Amino acid sequence: MARHHHAPAVTRRAQTRLGLLLALPALIMTVVFFLFPMGSALYFSVVDFDGIDPTPEFVGFANYTEMFTDPEVWHALSNNVIWIVIGTAAPMVIGLLIAVLIWSVQRGSVIYRLAFFLPFILPGVVIGIVWTWIYDPANGWLNRALGAIGLESLQRGWLGDPSLALYAVLATAIWAYSAFVIVIFLSALRNVDIELVDASRIDGANAGNRLIHIILPQIMPVFLMVLTLTLVGGFSVFDIVFIMTGGGPADASNVLGTYSYTQAFQLSRIGYGTTLALLITVLSVPFAVALNRLQRRMALQETGV
Amino acid sequence: MLDQPTIPRAQTATEDDRSAVTHRRPSPRKRAGLAVRHVILVVLALLTLFPVVLIISTVFKTPADIRTDPFGLFTSFSMENLVSAWTVGRFSDYLLNSILLSVPSTLAVVAISTMAGYAFARLPFPGRTVIFYTVLLGLLVPFFTYMIPLYFQLRSMGLLDTLVGANLVLTLTGIAFGTFFMRAFFSELPEELEQAARVDGCSELQIFVRVMMPLTSSGMGALAVFTFLSNWNNFLVPLLYLPSGDYRPLTTGLYMFTGGRSLDIGPLAAGTLITILPVIVLFLLLQRQVTQGFISGAVKG
Repeated sequence: MARHHHAPAVTRRAQTRLGLLLALPALIMTVVFFLFPMGSALYFSVVDFDGIDPTPEFVGFANYTEMFTDPEVWHALSNNVIWIVIGTAAPMVIGLLIAVLIWSVQRGSVIYRLAFFLPFILPGVVIGIVWTWIYDPANGWLNRALGAIGLESLQRGWLGDPSLALYAVLATAIWAYSAFVIVIFLSALRNVDIELVDASRIDGANAGNRLIHIILPQIMPVFLMVLTLTLVGGFSVFDIVFIMTGGGPADASNVLGTYSYTQAFQLSRIGYGTTLALLITVLSVPFAVALNRLQRRMALQETGV
Repeated sequence: MLDQPTIPRAQTATEDDRSAVTHRRPSPRKRAGLAVRHVILVVLALLTLFPVVLIISTVFKTPADIRTDPFGLFTSFSMENLVSAWTVGRFSDYLLNSILLSVPSTLAVVAISTMAGYAFARLPFPGRTVIFYTVLLGLLVPFFTYMIPLYFQLRSMGLLDTLVGANLVLTLTGIAFGTFFMRAFFSELPEELEQAARVDGCSELQIFVRVMMPLTSSGMGALAVFTFLSNWNNFLVPLLYLPSGDYRPLTTGLYMFTGGRSLDIGPLAAGTLITILPVIVLFLLLQRQVTQGFISGAVKG
């Protein structure tokens, strides 16, 4: 039978009808709960809305001007940048190394896989709570461990120290993100051509060379996918910072997400909070698009299309 | 890295080849290397699991022990914390609310995404591309962009602080990925199947429900588990859209609990255990399908 076979008109009509019908629920949900509030977001950003007044005052670009001159925005944004750089690089490296290590030992890999998967499936609020205990100044295990190895001088109240709070939360996030990276890389490694790796070993390539020149190119599309997800996620990070420090102490660990939330829902500055949320979008979407394009191109190259 | 020669895919090693490689008798040096790697992995695994061990240890301590040494590992045993979390701490209510928020939204995501995925993959209709990219836009735009206006929209629709409203939002946040994911599964099915069914006199709806849908059941299952996990763990949606606390699920319930004094550490630990236990059980049972499905859907595009 011919592959490109032209369906009769009756079939075409039935397909059109069913197609529209099946796509309709997704379309309605998207329009009502996504496109509509997105449009409202643009409106909210040009008014001074306190959440109650049904006819808020139009303020033009005042929210935007305030945003660019608000030092806390720049501070929060710089925290986001720190978060993105460290919070992407560290899990990618740690995740890749552990995944390759699990992949290379083979025996027992199921047990390792389960152990390293665990943080990936825990809710952020649980992660936040248990790490707050680990960071506890008086009884926490981090200070205990430092004491046990004679580093009492390094003991401190990790989440209460303005210069450390962000990094303490970030370390927690790296623990959780690494699990995600391991999960994904391990799956990708299943398709890696082991004969090629063995051949290069015989040719005298050391472990580092094998990783970079033989293994990494084969899992590149997945590598880029994970990179996109962690990078883009870095702009809208919220849960874990909100739960562990609430952006504190004294705004020290504020990121755009927590600052936007505080403005909108704690100070009732809905217009300004929404404008900050739009900034998150404007920053993250181009990254997502660019990396996605690159990933697609590589995926195509790999399959030889 | 980009100018590496492309790798021929044809002679990929099968599982059998791989085990044949490992079963070759390793040299002593190689065996020592393997042992070192195992040691490193075991240490790292223990570090990774430590927070979970800490939760379990804290749950089963006596309240008196928690007051003196809250985080000492396994220094006493009692069920008191679980009992007080369940009764005084309202975690039984939170558990029920978590189920009422995760199950309907998961079913809705799977149903809507399967339908839309099929339509976008196999049925030509006017506006298909535009509608597809509109739905997919949700993958690109962070929830932050529209979450604040959505609060006021739900309020004016009378859906704020209702299970229906929160379920609808959770559904919306899942269908962009779900549609994209299911479309990939339907795109792979051979054209001949559809035509054979048509020749046999199946209607278009029957082709979808009886012929094509059963073939993507593994995809639907993976999507269901993945969606359930994300919705069960979701924090922001109940935090924003269930403000009164009448329908508070486990995640925001736990958060409210953290505001308390250190005396509450025991019940709080019990609450975290109640929250993560279903998730861990589900994942242990189904982890292979979940990750496999997640990877294939994301990479195929």
